[in-house]
Amino acid sequence: MANFNLRKAEPKDVPDILRLIKELAKYEEMEDQVILTEKDLLEDGFGDHPFYHCVVADVPAEQQCSLTGYSVIGFAMYYFTYDPWIGKLLYLEDFYVMKEYRGFGIGSEILKTLSDTAVKNRCSSMHFIVAESNKAFIDFYKRRGASDLSLQEGWRLFRIDKENLLKMSAEE
Amino acid sequence: MEFTIRAATLEDCKDISRMILELAEYEKVSDQVKIAQRDLEQDGFSKNPFFHGIIAEVPEHLKSKEDSCMYFFTGHTKVGYSLYFYTYSSWKGRAVYMEDLYVMPEFRGKGIGKALMSKVSQLGLAAGCTQLNFTVLDWNKSSLDFYLKQGCWDVTSDLGYHCMRCEGDALEHLAQGGL
Repeated sequence: MANFNLRKAEPKDVPDILRLIKELAKYEEMEDQVILTEKDLLEDGFGDHPFYHCVVADVPAEQQCSLTGYSVIGFAMYYFTYDPWIGKLLYLEDFYVMKEYRGFGIGSEILKTLSDTAVKNRCSSMHFIVAESNKAFIDFYKRRGASDLSLQEGWRLFRIDKENLLKMSAEE
Repeated sequence: MEFTIRAATLEDCKDISRMILELAEYEKVSDQVKIAQRDLEQDGFSKNPFFHGIIAEVPEHLKSKEDSCMYFFTGHTKVGYSLYFYTYSSWKGRAVYMEDLYVMPEFRGKGIGKALMSKVSQLGLAAGCTQLNFTVLDWNKSSLDFYLKQGCWDVTSDLGYHCMRCEGDALEHLAQGGL
């Protein structure tokens, strides 16, 4: 299998993007955490001020796996962030290729495209998070020159969820 | 203490730049700051800004007393800031990321940090966000304690998420298809 195409996602890809998001979440044993809907993805990714950008990998009809029947078989979701020390960054939110299509260089090609996007947009760096239990991914990224900021510099990711956000926003 | 919290404007970039350097010095990495006032002006106040800012300001009679520059010291009324931008969770949708939160040392302990964070939360909620994310250095115990008291939780500790970065030569190499 050699033919695949990487392209910018279009509104019609939204059902496939959500399907792949859920597949990746399932792989991370977090499928029940996905509350995003197709409507959210459409509104947030294809309006006047998109919250995210997406590239998808698709294969021609004749190469659709008979097991899956899908033509969109991989995706990456990213957006631009800002570091007040070094400026614009590209943040890679999700990156996934269906199991049946791995080992053909699709993942590497997606990463190459994103890195190219980062460089063309004058981003100093590409950031992302990886679960420490996901050794395969950590090694994949480290082989490509990524550094683990949590280990090397002691950065810890913190979060405040909606319930506490509401409490905090109501405080004088 | 009397203070106001408001959206940052182009004119605030000089003080934001000053306080970014102060925060970097506090984190012991001021040599890593490559962004200048004009970069902030361009990146934060053009048609498609990459970040938004909030400023904490005190009245003239409460302006700062300490400054590292002895010769042109006039005292500062802009004593704290927060920089934030909108991000996206593929599981939950719209989110807000608080990139910086800083209050000048002599103005701490008076509720300014909490007020800045509260403003970011309000703006995030108004924009339809369901979570606020940020990073903290593991040795920064006073900040860690402050955030845990606000109801935040440590995603790195609880879920094992590590922040990764690919930059410089490694990024260029990757863009050229290097493996």
